[in-house]
Amino acid sequence: MSKLTGKIGKSYVLTSIIISAIVIVLVFIILVGNSWQAVSNLGWNLFSLRWNAPTGEFGILSMCYGTAIVTLIALLLAVPLGIMTAIFTSEMLPSKLRIPVKSLLELLAGIPSIIYGLIGIAFFAIWLQDLFQLQSGRTILTAGFLLAIMILPTIITLVDDALHNIPKQYQEASMGLGLYKYEIIKNTLLPIAKADIYGAILLAFGRALGETMAVMLVIGSIDKIPSPFFNVLSPGQTITSKLGREIAETSFGSVHFSAMIFMGLILFTLVFIITLFSQRANKKRIRLYE
Amino acid sequence: MNSRKTINSIFKNAVRLSFIFCAGILVFLFGTIIWKGSAAISLDFLTKPTENFGAAGGIVHQITGSLLMILTTAIISFPIALGTAIYRSEYLKNPRSQNMADTLIFSLNGIPSIIFGIFGLIFFVNILGTGVSWFVGSIILAMMILPTLVLSAYQSVNSVPSIYRESALALGMTKWKVISTVLLPKGINGAITGLLIGIARAIGETAPIMFIATAFSGVQFPTTLLQPVSALPTHILSLAQQATNPAALQNAWGTSMVLVILVVLFSTSGLLVRLRFQKK
Amino acid sequence: MKIKFILFLSCTTFCLFSCTKKESITISGSTTVLPVISNAANAYKNTHTDVNIIVNAGGSGVGMNQLGEEKTSMGMISRDITNAEKEKYPKTNFKVIAIGKDAVVAVVSSEIYDAGITELTLAQLAAVYKGEIKNWKELGGPDKEILCVDKEAARGTRHVFMEIVMGDKEAEAPGADLVLGSNNEEQTSIVQSDAAIGMLSNAWLNDDVKGLNIKMNDSIFIEPSLANIVNGTYPITRNLEIVTRGEPKGQLKEFIDYVLGPEGQKFVEEAGYVKINR
Repeated sequence: MSKLTGKIGKSYVLTSIIISAIVIVLVFIILVGNSWQAVSNLGWNLFSLRWNAPTGEFGILSMCYGTAIVTLIALLLAVPLGIMTAIFTSEMLPSKLRIPVKSLLELLAGIPSIIYGLIGIAFFAIWLQDLFQLQSGRTILTAGFLLAIMILPTIITLVDDALHNIPKQYQEASMGLGLYKYEIIKNTLLPIAKADIYGAILLAFGRALGETMAVMLVIGSIDKIPSPFFNVLSPGQTITSKLGREIAETSFGSVHFSAMIFMGLILFTLVFIITLFSQRANKKRIRLYE
Repeated sequence: MNSRKTINSIFKNAVRLSFIFCAGILVFLFGTIIWKGSAAISLDFLTKPTENFGAAGGIVHQITGSLLMILTTAIISFPIALGTAIYRSEYLKNPRSQNMADTLIFSLNGIPSIIFGIFGLIFFVNILGTGVSWFVGSIILAMMILPTLVLSAYQSVNSVPSIYRESALALGMTKWKVISTVLLPKGINGAITGLLIGIARAIGETAPIMFIATAFSGVQFPTTLLQPVSALPTHILSLAQQATNPAALQNAWGTSMVLVILVVLFSTSGLLVRLRFQKK
Repeated sequence: MKIKFILFLSCTTFCLFSCTKKESITISGSTTVLPVISNAANAYKNTHTDVNIIVNAGGSGVGMNQLGEEKTSMGMISRDITNAEKEKYPKTNFKVIAIGKDAVVAVVSSEIYDAGITELTLAQLAAVYKGEIKNWKELGGPDKEILCVDKEAARGTRHVFMEIVMGDKEAEAPGADLVLGSNNEEQTSIVQSDAAIGMLSNAWLNDDVKGLNIKMNDSIFIEPSLANIVNGTYPITRNLEIVTRGEPKGQLKEFIDYVLGPEGQKFVEEAGYVKINR
């Protein structure tokens, strides 16, 4: 009897991990399989600038550029702000207040992305439009700004943990040397926490690359690289917003569909690589959902 | 000396300022959702079906649809996560395969939600021919939150000191007996925590379900597995696109507030469950 | 406690699947046709409790696509079926039924309309969408850059508009500044701007979104009024259509008959369209 339950138990846990493994392999196979048609039909033409379905041109460069620049803006805004805020919560806030304040900031991470999109379209887009006297507030900068807010909690939590986990002796020793807070943080704490901070940034990077709903609503969805290319006050398109807007219109099995999936595959691969790196950086810690 | 002091105080103020900025964002976001949302919420709003494309009526079917989906998501993901966590903790002994299992879980966690959406569209809706179905939506959401559950369950299984396992084995208990009496209860606690946090994330997701599980109007409570439902996040999406119609916009805020309340409810109960189990 | 929880979960799921089954009709497609069908479906369900009708948006392209792939039983389109769509589903015999008539109107922000731009020629419209005219000054308006709003490629409104204005329903619009989806989304962006031009169904016009008169070759400007749509003088009109795979049967046929009947046609007029002459 107990031998039988033991067997059932073992095959249950084995099945579970096999299911988990199959899921990710299946996602990859499906993406590769369905983008093959576009790759074999279009080849290097996929990496061109024009996307025009009726003429069979599917160049994905504008979308790749959009994803890159929006993510870059988000990181440029969120990384310094997030690290500074984490320094505040871990080093300057009275320790009694640290957990409640941090938990509150983490609530930001709980707001669903569609609500960020709603706030983006109802407020940020209009503010930016008025501030810069734009024709339309649906711009690359709006999307980057929104995305920055969305990845802030990830950076704050992880960096705060990293700083907080540094043994107190380091600080005490530095203080004994008569160093100022700024010098302690810059010369002692940040170098020690460096690997963890990289890990946090990579994790936030991965999040930002894959964010869809908020970006889709505010970016303007035009398949063009702005001119000049650094003009972030013009509309653009990211891989995710393109997928979100157009995938339902394409029919399964067409080159159009396949080209869309190819973009998905690129995104998947990028995020996969980033995850591997961030896992390496976060080797010692197993944390996911903060 | 003086310049060091100046730099220090500039630094301190900059740090303070960035914290105030972040706190300001927090207050602004929640303030907006609550202030705008509470104007829309009433008993009728919560209990009446949608009318006139969301500009009138309530969101009862969106609420039931979302709850139905995440409930099913929970039922699907919970046992798989528990098993995976126990396998990772108890059967994988060499570091290489442990590492591989971790990579697997982390990669699954990293997959962008839209990718899950197009995966579901290809695999379930097209290849398996399910059509737009709330059940497929639940499966996809379950895949998405699996890593959160696995890691949470794994942490609590792993927190059982190995001395327990060794002494139980020494007493002649079979390995499965040890697992089922000592480790499983621990793992369930962890998985419940992970489940609540995972659900808090799943209920707010739009991108994975918008092509495969939801419909715009005319949806009531589904009676078969293969019907679409209405869900809160997709409802906000369709209302957000009519951001100049004041009635629709107000209902979008109302729906957002309901959604945020649900998210906060699930995630805080997850944290409470964790605290309670840690005390034990 | 945990066991109770799990028991509770399994009971609820069991209840769900043992519920009674209703026949259901699923419909998706054009946001232009959506208000008519959605309202008609709600009213129809009140009198026919044995049927459930689920209506989804997405645009004409989505409607055709899902119908062709047998994910829905009926599509809504605000344009003709393209050849590409016919070629994609060679075995399917699409049956198209017109339920109403509508005009696609070139619209501008109220600020531009009030500043005196109330009418444009087709050539001027084309020049704006080709990117040859970039400032309202060139059209006699204020010195403001034009925010040219385009629609997603497979949208019905766009096909009809581009067919008349550019001569090709799938023409590219290099002058476009934004590409949006539904009528609602486009309307929103035009209201939010003070220098926008776009294309909308006649039913989406309001105080903030003004429709332009169109000048044909013979120097008469034609207002996008219901009367002009009925008598066919306004140039950019189209039929609002529903599509089925083969002849509609059973409940679906009854519903379509309802939409075409006097009660259903009321919803066509309520939505701001012209009812079909039968």
